[in-house]
Amino acid sequence: MKFLRLFLCLVALCLTACMSHLFVDTTTRLQVENKTDVVILGLDIVSDDGSSVQPWIKETIEPGEKSKVVEEDWVGTFRVRVRFDKWNGVHSFNGSACATETRVVVALAKQSEADVKHEVDDGCKQEGRVEMTFAEVELDFEGGSQYLVVSQDEDGKAVFKFR
Amino acid sequence: MQRKLSKILFLFALAAGIAFADPIPTEALTQGGLTMRDRQLRDIGLVMRGGRGGFFDIGYTYTPSSEQLQLKSKYGVHNGYAFRHHYGIFGSWVLDSNSHFGFLTWFDRAGWDSQDFFFFPHYGKFAHISSAFTWGFSYTNTKYDVTAALGLQHQNLELAGKRVYPNESDSLLFYWAHARFKNVSFQGSFYRGTFQTLRLSLDLESRELYGGAKHGFKTYLPNLNATIYRRKKDNDDDNFIRLNWEQNLYEQKLYADVTFDFPDEGFRSAVVKFYPDPSRMIGIEASCYRRHEFAGAQDLLWGGAIDLMFFRLGYNSSFDYENMFHAKGTLIAEIKFHIGAADGKFFGRGAAKPAPMETTKSQFDLKKFMKSRAEQNSEAPAIDAQGHKVIEAKGIRYEKVGAPESTSAEGGN
Repeated sequence: MKFLRLFLCLVALCLTACMSHLFVDTTTRLQVENKTDVVILGLDIVSDDGSSVQPWIKETIEPGEKSKVVEEDWVGTFRVRVRFDKWNGVHSFNGSACATETRVVVALAKQSEADVKHEVDDGCKQEGRVEMTFAEVELDFEGGSQYLVVSQDEDGKAVFKFR
Repeated sequence: MQRKLSKILFLFALAAGIAFADPIPTEALTQGGLTMRDRQLRDIGLVMRGGRGGFFDIGYTYTPSSEQLQLKSKYGVHNGYAFRHHYGIFGSWVLDSNSHFGFLTWFDRAGWDSQDFFFFPHYGKFAHISSAFTWGFSYTNTKYDVTAALGLQHQNLELAGKRVYPNESDSLLFYWAHARFKNVSFQGSFYRGTFQTLRLSLDLESRELYGGAKHGFKTYLPNLNATIYRRKKDNDDDNFIRLNWEQNLYEQKLYADVTFDFPDEGFRSAVVKFYPDPSRMIGIEASCYRRHEFAGAQDLLWGGAIDLMFFRLGYNSSFDYENMFHAKGTLIAEIKFHIGAADGKFFGRGAAKPAPMETTKSQFDLKKFMKSRAEQNSEAPAIDAQGHKVIEAKGIRYEKVGAPESTSAEGGN
């Protein structure tokens, strides 16, 4: 009888999944600190082919500032895009040529270090031009409260570090 | 030492299973409803071989780590849980000496969520949960050995995250019918006047459970079934036929089950199953599944499973690949139980023979019970906290008090 009760309790626990993962986080509360000398315009999750974008941090973060904490359902490994207003003195510029240009500002990319690209999509199909200076990197979000520091190393690469 | 070693090996295998697991694709989740409905109808087909007695099946998968069956979406890899809960119940009433009237209900709920809480579902933003519910009535006449069954099938979408899944129809209503004459059966499921599946089964193998041969060449005849599946490709009909061939290899304990898809795809899966007892309560299987993802031998997924009546453990098995959204590279545990009963005999799903049972007399003997209780009560006297013997009064004895002069000597109490 005792064992039966224990068995039923175990079954119930399995069903509520409490036994295995009482403390598994299903969301990430992200805060970003900007340690670069440029302004961060936002942080998004982008799809592999770049066709879909889900904004996460929407505010601009001035150099030395940190963002508000934003909670989202991203737990796992995702492609993160951080947008800057400029990088290594290269400003976003307005032109009129109907062409797409991608300039890789930094050629090398290590884990959690990213190329910063300057992409000009003239948007021939759209109205106006879409221009972006951004860094893309694959990051591992474990869930819970996470503090991401974006900085710049001597070689001019963007460095992403969780703290 | 040996026990320790085996423990270490088991933990290593478990860790390897989790470490090398591949995430499940979102496309497999959106096709889950079709898989569930087809499996339920195949199950019902097996139960309708007898069409009488009862059948009970319940189970749920248990994958303890959130990195075991991750989800692969266009954004990356999400931590979470794939799950599957199911039950199937069939019960029948005897109308007269030949007729049996039955009711059956099958239910599956499967999907992926960032938590796998059963009682309080989490419903994360990337969750996909759907369910299939099949129910119906059956009639069996044992004199002519025929069964007819029909009913409805509901496919419901509980939740599909907007960010990664395409739009799907909810609350689809299908209807199905099953007819059997001796060992030939026909089954169809339909949606608004068009068929979804049409299945013809030839259960040529002779089964003792349903009054067939115990052994001999008749038990070695094959079980064949061919199913036409409705499929659309670029708005054109692209129907295909799936052929199953189940073959007894040795004394209804060892079976081979091979599946082919016609006309294009060819070999689909092969499973070798070993049941220590032909009642199929316990089984071990090795399977090979062709995924149509790679070229050559790399495309084949080798795996196996062990079914211990209340617990099933599978690794890359073709059943798990099909029913758990292409889950592979990880151990999948299922807590489950299923049993069939007919004419006072018990058996597993699709079995040929009933389970061997001992006959025990279960009549309640009051005299024996009272005697054993009395013996229990007359055990050694209890001892109280101070170590004194405690004697409990078990009745009151009255003695007749006689002449006044004898009171001091005899005194009654």
